[in-house]
Amino acid sequence: MLYAELHCHSAFSFLDGASSPDELVDAAVAHGYRTLALTDHDNLCGAMEFAQAAKAAGLKAIHGAEVRVVSEREPATEHRHLTLLVKDAQGWSNLCRLLTLAHAHTRDGRERGQPELTLEQIEAHTEGLICLSGCAGHGFHDEPSLRRLLAAFGRDDLRIELQRPFARHDRALGRELAERARLLGVPCVASGNVHAHAASRAPLQDTFVAVRSHLTLDGCEPQRRGNHSHVLASPQAMAARFEDHPEALAETERIAERCQFDLTSDLGYRYPGAEDGDADRDLHQACQASFDHRYPHGHPLRDEAAARLSEELKIIAGLGLSGFFLLHRDMLELAREVAAEVRGPSSARALLPPGRGRGSSVSSIVCYLTGLSHVDPVANRLLLGRFLSEQITELPDIDLDFPRDIREKLIPRIHQRYGVERTALVAAFPTYKARGAIRDFGAALGLPAGEIERVARSSEGWSLRGFGEQIAEAIGEERAQSGRWRWLAELAREASGLPRHLAQHSGGMIVATRPLIDCCPVVPSAIEGRQIAHWDKDSCADAGFLKIDLLGLGMLSAVERCVEQIDARRGERIDLSRIPYDDPQVYDAIQRGETTGVFQIESRAQIASLRRTRPTNLDEITIQVAIVRPGPIQGGAVNPYIKRRQALNTNPDYKIPYPHHSLEPILRETLGTIIFQDQVIEVAMAFAGFSAADAAGLRRAMSRKRSAEAIESHRRSFIEGAMARWPDVDETHAAEVFEMVAGFAGFGFPKAHAAAFGLLAYQSTWLRVHYGPELLAALLDEQPMGFYPPDSLVHEAQRRGTTVLAPDLNESALGCLINEQGALRLGLRHVRGVRKEQLEELLEERSDNGPFASLSDLTARAGGARSSLEALAWAGACDRLASTDADSGQQRPGLARRAVLWQLGIGAPTASSKAQLSLAFDLPAAPTLDPLTAWQTMLADYAATGLTTGSHPLELMRPDLERRGALPSAAIELAPHRGRVCVGGLVVARQRPGTASGVCFVLLEDEQGTINLVLRPEVYERFRLTVRTEPLVFAEGILERHASAGGTVNLLVDRIEPLEPGNAQLAEIGEVISGDFRAVAPPVMSFAQGRRR
Amino acid sequence: MTPAARRLGAPRAVRVCAGVGGRPLEVEGSEISAVRESWLVEDSWWSDQPLRRRYWELVTIEGGDLVVFRDLVGGGWFRHR
Repeated sequence: MLYAELHCHSAFSFLDGASSPDELVDAAVAHGYRTLALTDHDNLCGAMEFAQAAKAAGLKAIHGAEVRVVSEREPATEHRHLTLLVKDAQGWSNLCRLLTLAHAHTRDGRERGQPELTLEQIEAHTEGLICLSGCAGHGFHDEPSLRRLLAAFGRDDLRIELQRPFARHDRALGRELAERARLLGVPCVASGNVHAHAASRAPLQDTFVAVRSHLTLDGCEPQRRGNHSHVLASPQAMAARFEDHPEALAETERIAERCQFDLTSDLGYRYPGAEDGDADRDLHQACQASFDHRYPHGHPLRDEAAARLSEELKIIAGLGLSGFFLLHRDMLELAREVAAEVRGPSSARALLPPGRGRGSSVSSIVCYLTGLSHVDPVANRLLLGRFLSEQITELPDIDLDFPRDIREKLIPRIHQRYGVERTALVAAFPTYKARGAIRDFGAALGLPAGEIERVARSSEGWSLRGFGEQIAEAIGEERAQSGRWRWLAELAREASGLPRHLAQHSGGMIVATRPLIDCCPVVPSAIEGRQIAHWDKDSCADAGFLKIDLLGLGMLSAVERCVEQIDARRGERIDLSRIPYDDPQVYDAIQRGETTGVFQIESRAQIASLRRTRPTNLDEITIQVAIVRPGPIQGGAVNPYIKRRQALNTNPDYKIPYPHHSLEPILRETLGTIIFQDQVIEVAMAFAGFSAADAAGLRRAMSRKRSAEAIESHRRSFIEGAMARWPDVDETHAAEVFEMVAGFAGFGFPKAHAAAFGLLAYQSTWLRVHYGPELLAALLDEQPMGFYPPDSLVHEAQRRGTTVLAPDLNESALGCLINEQGALRLGLRHVRGVRKEQLEELLEERSDNGPFASLSDLTARAGGARSSLEALAWAGACDRLASTDADSGQQRPGLARRAVLWQLGIGAPTASSKAQLSLAFDLPAAPTLDPLTAWQTMLADYAATGLTTGSHPLELMRPDLERRGALPSAAIELAPHRGRVCVGGLVVARQRPGTASGVCFVLLEDEQGTINLVLRPEVYERFRLTVRTEPLVFAEGILERHASAGGTVNLLVDRIEPLEPGNAQLAEIGEVISGDFRAVAPPVMSFAQGRRR
Repeated sequence: MTPAARRLGAPRAVRVCAGVGGRPLEVEGSEISAVRESWLVEDSWWSDQPLRRRYWELVTIEGGDLVVFRDLVGGGWFRHR
């Protein structure tokens, strides 16, 4: 007896399916299935992944979906399910269109709506689809509805779906449905309604039901399936389950036979320009048009560039990709128009290009000449192979970075230009991370909310590995091993890697010639004017979709803002493409690691690397951008590179050791190590004799999910290839080189990408060196971005001598500005909890009728913004309007702020103040009040703006710290090597990179500078709660200073504890501040968040 | 627990003679003529008392209707009424 499973959900049914498509495929093959259908709820998100996995495993894949159907008459009350299966390409297209329709209105309201279809919509899209009447719980069971479906789908394509979920009345239901089928003259078909690939995953499915219905497991019994019969069973077990209905079993195979659509080959997608006969000629002309400008007669690289151009054009024409490049150029032109609108014609930003290339496309001279890249690939010796070669099987990637404001406008413009039906953003599927898993599953298990939160906060944030131990640390070993806590660890482990929901990719966009909704469902995004396809970047690549990455790059926005600030204040118009690239002041700053706030090379690890290697030109900065990445770190490139660079710095005759002489030309610039992704390709070709396509395959295997097995399969051919090619290479030697290559499997940059980023790193350092306050203003206004929280950026600038002033109602603009004295005045926008419109109203009033003379004047003129005055006062923005004494506000912010708050309490109470009349009246002078203490003022600053421009918390704690013998950071710099010291500080960054074998790095800040803490795994484990949760810490340990570290000092910590302010400083003030620094501490950069750009 | 203190509806043990696939043939000496329904309850796996029961709704040759279950965790047959 044969059986095909025609109703199966994966985790892409989002909280109603507990296995990945891969797992389902593997389990089906193990059970001996020949065919499996994937029918997720209302989407095809997992379809391509399923198709690829099934093809690789030799299983026939059928595609379909279980759709939610509402009645036309009472759409809100009742819903039922239908199972739709794809027979052919027409059916696929109809299913995509139906699902697009189902989601069309899910974003109309404030809450995300449920996807749903009406029978009328389904009736209009039946061709190529087989309809099963739906599941036991929600299917179509009544005769009138079934007759309507019969009329729509016909006798051939409607089947009555029988299920046996081992619920109380399902045998009776089965008999009833079989009888109805006989009356209608329609066959029955059996299905398993699978929700998990193995019994071990069934508890997770139950838990998902609880999470989905916001209930506990105990409380969601009616919603749950009641048993675990939804686990994929063997065909034999299914035969036993349906022993009463043998015909329904046989029918599964007949239907499987009729479904012949293969998603891996029958999609029929084309990108715009693919059919343009003149594309080759047009691209050639476009390149020639700018060739003479970029490489004029007499240019030293003109001949080389001409040869490179003709080679590239030949490859592109051979691959039929000329239209693809023209399309990109077309988009950049569109971006240029958008940029001109966004920036305005006279802005200093107009000198900047609308966007710039990143990624491997930067290595293409065609991209350079058509404006898609700003890096000369000939001068920078960038290799084309990673981007484009004659044997490529996937479309190349062209990634473009834009300032955020331009990108915002560009995306809807592209929808407009190419048609809403033909464009969509690429999806992303965030997976369960530790914290989300603890909170969701902990609540489902009914664990105490306080404890769940404690465990969540102390968790590593991203990893579900070693999860049981983390729970044990937070609540104790014994309890962690018991009952529900043990289940929490188990469920989290099972959920690891499963998709949680559909989200938007950071910038990938698909463009098609035929309506995209014939290829893939498209759904509206949460952001108005955008729409998302159902596939992530891997599925889009498998589908051969042309994907264009339009990425928002915070630093580009910041650089543009900075250029505007410089123009506004100094009247200097800066063209960043024409600044000197050999500025000694810039390299001096880079070598000393004074790069806080600049692009890419600002983190603790990067600064340490800069000090050790002391870059002297753009090429070396390019390496710096690429080196602190998982690829080079795991590949073991970092220390050898740094040691060799240091050796070369002291001894120019130092001889670099290469793994093999054939690798010298490839690895020369990186001193015998693999730092760039393209070197993987080059090494495989030169050393192991791989073809360009095989080498590209190896590189791709490294950048994909589940890549370990794929890489391993390349190992054999690599070793054999190397031994065959080089007589002096034995197996051990070849294996060593392969390890070096395979070690790179983590994320790494292609050189072209690093070069593009390196250039921006230099440009931002140049701005920092010459226009520090302007760059700081731009960075603060473009948050979130970069490694440091705004508070640290401000403190660092203050230490360099920049004056930073609190917001002020009479001086501040919306954003930060540099005043005539060269001081930075924080913008009013940085005050939390105040709406932008209200601020604009206040600023307009000020510009129309002059500065506010007093608090009374302010309350009278504030209009609708009056309710925000208290928040502004907490931030210190009204300090100078205090009527105590004109000067005291400056000297004693605590006194002024207390008085202002008292007066505002009368003049503009926040609560119930809506009906206030705006009468000018003199506010009574404040009585004699205790001023806010310095600690309270500092807390108020943090609570109101997330940063303080006044006293650093450590400055206020210094007397206590001195009594405890702690050294400030400046003294640490001078303390002896191997000496025992203790320090106190504010935690700025906390990193425990997967590449550092359990070592945790913490960056502390005090009023004088920063201190690096290093915590060995055993120390970290012992004090993990403190390290992970406390914003202020006191640490003790041994100081380490190695000359080879370029003067970087580390404190090897053996003890760390929370740093509590003295009793006198604990205070409850108002509703805004709880008195505890923990509640207002600035956010800590942690490795889990990833770097924001 | 004395019979007087027994919770209402709490299952009590019964003698069942079962055949292939666990299907009851005889309950407390009464022969079974038909199976009306059979269902499975797997629940409370997260608690101290996980529940796994295979239920059978049966018709005896005397024409009586009864529901028994097999406890798949601790073993044994029980009936509710």
